[in-house]
Amino acid sequence: MLEDLLILIKHDLGGILRVRNVKGMRSERRSAFRRLFRYVAAAIFAVIVLWGIIFMVQLLGWSFFQTAIIAGIDFGATIFNFLVIISFMGSIAVSVATVANTSKMEYLMCMPISLRTLFLEKTIVVVFYNSLIYLIIGIPIVIGLAISSPVPFALLSIPVFIVMLLGNVTLGVALGGLIGLTISRFLAGRRRLKQIGWFLGTSLAIVISTFYYYSLYAADSGFSQFFSIILDFAKQIGLSSDFSPGGAMNAVTVRLIVGLPVNPVDILLAFLFVLVSIMLIYVNAIASETAHYSGWLASGSKRSSKREVKIAHTSWNPSDIPLLKMTTTTSVSMWYNTASVRREGRVLANYLVGPMRTVLWFLLIFLAPGGTMASFAPFIIISAMIPFAVSYGVYFAGYELVYEGKNLMNLQLAPASLVDYVKGKVFSAVPFTMIATGIASVLVIIVQPSLWIYIPAVFISGIFLTLASGGIASYSAATGGDFKAQRNISRQRGAAVQMPIRSMWAMARAHLIPNMIGFIGIGAILGIGIFLNPLYSYLVVPIFALICIQLMRSYVGKSGRKLQTIEASEYL
Amino acid sequence: MIEAIELTKQFSEFTAVDKLSFHVNHGEIYGLLGPNGSGKSTTMRMLLGLLKPTMGTARINGFDVQTHIVEAKRSMGYVPEEPVLPERLTGWEYINYVSDIWRVPRGSERDEEIDELLTLLDIKDASDDLIETYSKGMARKISLVAALIHSPKILILDELQAGIDPRGAATIKEILAGLSDRGNTILMSTHVLEIAERICDRIGIINKGSMIAEGTMDELRLKAKGQQSLEDIFLDLTGGPDMQRIADFLGE
Ligand SMILES: Nc1ncnc2c1ncn2[C@@H]1O[C@H](COP(=O)(O)OP(=O)(O)OP(=O)(O)O)[C@@H](O)[C@H]1O
Ligand SMILES: [Mg+2]
Repeated sequence: MLEDLLILIKHDLGGILRVRNVKGMRSERRSAFRRLFRYVAAAIFAVIVLWGIIFMVQLLGWSFFQTAIIAGIDFGATIFNFLVIISFMGSIAVSVATVANTSKMEYLMCMPISLRTLFLEKTIVVVFYNSLIYLIIGIPIVIGLAISSPVPFALLSIPVFIVMLLGNVTLGVALGGLIGLTISRFLAGRRRLKQIGWFLGTSLAIVISTFYYYSLYAADSGFSQFFSIILDFAKQIGLSSDFSPGGAMNAVTVRLIVGLPVNPVDILLAFLFVLVSIMLIYVNAIASETAHYSGWLASGSKRSSKREVKIAHTSWNPSDIPLLKMTTTTSVSMWYNTASVRREGRVLANYLVGPMRTVLWFLLIFLAPGGTMASFAPFIIISAMIPFAVSYGVYFAGYELVYEGKNLMNLQLAPASLVDYVKGKVFSAVPFTMIATGIASVLVIIVQPSLWIYIPAVFISGIFLTLASGGIASYSAATGGDFKAQRNISRQRGAAVQMPIRSMWAMARAHLIPNMIGFIGIGAILGIGIFLNPLYSYLVVPIFALICIQLMRSYVGKSGRKLQTIEASEYL
Repeated sequence: MIEAIELTKQFSEFTAVDKLSFHVNHGEIYGLLGPNGSGKSTTMRMLLGLLKPTMGTARINGFDVQTHIVEAKRSMGYVPEEPVLPERLTGWEYINYVSDIWRVPRGSERDEEIDELLTLLDIKDASDDLIETYSKGMARKISLVAALIHSPKILILDELQAGIDPRGAATIKEILAGLSDRGNTILMSTHVLEIAERICDRIGIINKGSMIAEGTMDELRLKAKGQQSLEDIFLDLTGGPDMQRIADFLGE
């Protein structure tokens, strides 16, 4: 089984990490620059970081670093736990998506290997993708610190770091995969429950893990009482850190570098976590295999009923939404987009709660200095609406455009304007933004009732921000999308480990620009209101809306025209 | 060699394969025929262990597919109906991948064998290209090479001839005949009745998941009294075109 696993991994990664051009005459030749760019960039980055650290240590002296690291020793645990949480949240639908797409792996499934080996290998590839960026950033930092440190055995922290990092990411991915499979098990055969079930399941998993994370992170805040039993237990058995994978990792790597004593219990715990990770990834493979054979994921299944059920085709009569002139193409596209995302509960859930991960990122940044920022909580909630508004645009207009895949041919052949079609995709994100900002508004009013005056302004701005973000993302999709994404296990819809937009620049544009616009715009609205007069805020809203509409129109136009000219070889 | 015993597959409430029993003897070419959606591919997938039967047993080479899946798969080669292949690999890399998994010993002998098959099927010149650049027929051919490279005792071919050029089809026909003479067992499905008539030793016609006729060509002729060609027999058993509706459609 191990040998099979290695062969699978070797050939799988061989295709992904190809450096040389293939020899055949039909295949695209890529310039040496494009082929090597990511490797060279990663190497240069690593060298700069490494050199920077060594240089700084020489400049400031090791004891400066040592004191600083020891003073903030718990921060390491926070970061490492963060990696686990992020891997976990990103992987909730991974195993389910793999199992659901087994029809695309028939060539592998007919090989004389058990399916669990196959699923195990796919999960390992997911772990690889998830840890890549952390390895690239982390290894040079650890190496830099370890070789600068005079502490004996500091160098040992390098391999320990790599093993622990891989172990922790594995833990996150495997747990996420298992949770997803569990959700699918509960929802098997229940058609009606599927969307809401996935939504609740995914949100619950994210919220609980976030709570756990914060309870570790802000040990004296109110959160911790939820998990106090676990934390007390950790103290009792003499851990230097809390009972968490990141804490264990911190204890055996960072403490090793700066020469703090490493408890045998910590080492034991670190071992335990790695062991548990390996076990979980294997259990995940077995669960995937079971899921495949038992057909939990069979599409279109429903509970059988004794009564005869008439098949009624739902149809939608495209009509104008009040105040909004839409062509038939736009309204059909809007309907189709919503329907196709809604059909698969796990995709919808992933899209809807996806932005929570971004919000988590910046909560970390905001809260990092300590509890002093707590009075900003309502503003943080208000600004948390921005990633939601932006992400929905990116998902519904950007990603979904890429997942049209082969269907692009039909669109190009249809006697309809692709600009209108793209517009429909952008519009389809709006209702979801309205729901999300609605929920956030309620939260804000509960936390800080005096802020109610800004809520309508932010709510309306959120809608326009979604339009701008959708427009920009659709252009990124048209220029940098991998229109064959759906055929690639790791790029699949709703559980992409690699995003469907392949070009790095296009991806950065889709996410950064709208977020910036959002923060500047909503910042201006709030700022002017607070420092001048809340009523002035409402003067900013129309300007903001106008800018967003203009951005949307210009980008949607560009992306429609670009799509019209995309060559069939890109998607067929 | 291949035994299907009361194989049944239900997709939620729909029964795709309904208590289907048949067997394919050693060295035989067995043709599975039937209208679209009659359950041919589903049956094959159950025999291969890709799908778990709702009921019934599949036995390959004496191994129960459900309990001894890896052993059963070891003796089978499969060409799927719509080969989805690793697009980021070249044809050559893909065949090597498959050979590695099947533990075909590496070395010049293996390379020559691969080379020979690629040349035979006229896809040698594309072997260094990424599979994503292949045409439909080329993908099916490379998938046949992958199925043959580990010299399986049993071949399961789902509409192999679809989309293959005449020369390729003739080559494949000869290869299949040769393999069957050497004692290999072949289960194939096809909609080209002429191919079935010419190369299959026995034919099973299924409709709506159940076997409606089975036997050699002669036996089938006897069964469908008077009908001579396989096409007539097939249409007789599964129903011919609805002339009235066609006329209505054309006349509107
Ligand atoms: N994964 C699935 N989920 C639900 N139904 C399925 C699934 N796979 C097949 N079916 C149904 O089972 C029936 C048999 O399908 P199958 O692919 O075996 O037909 P076939 O005989 O191979 O047809 P064709 O000649 O078109 O290839 C069809 O009605 C099909 O819709
Ligand atoms: Mg078929």
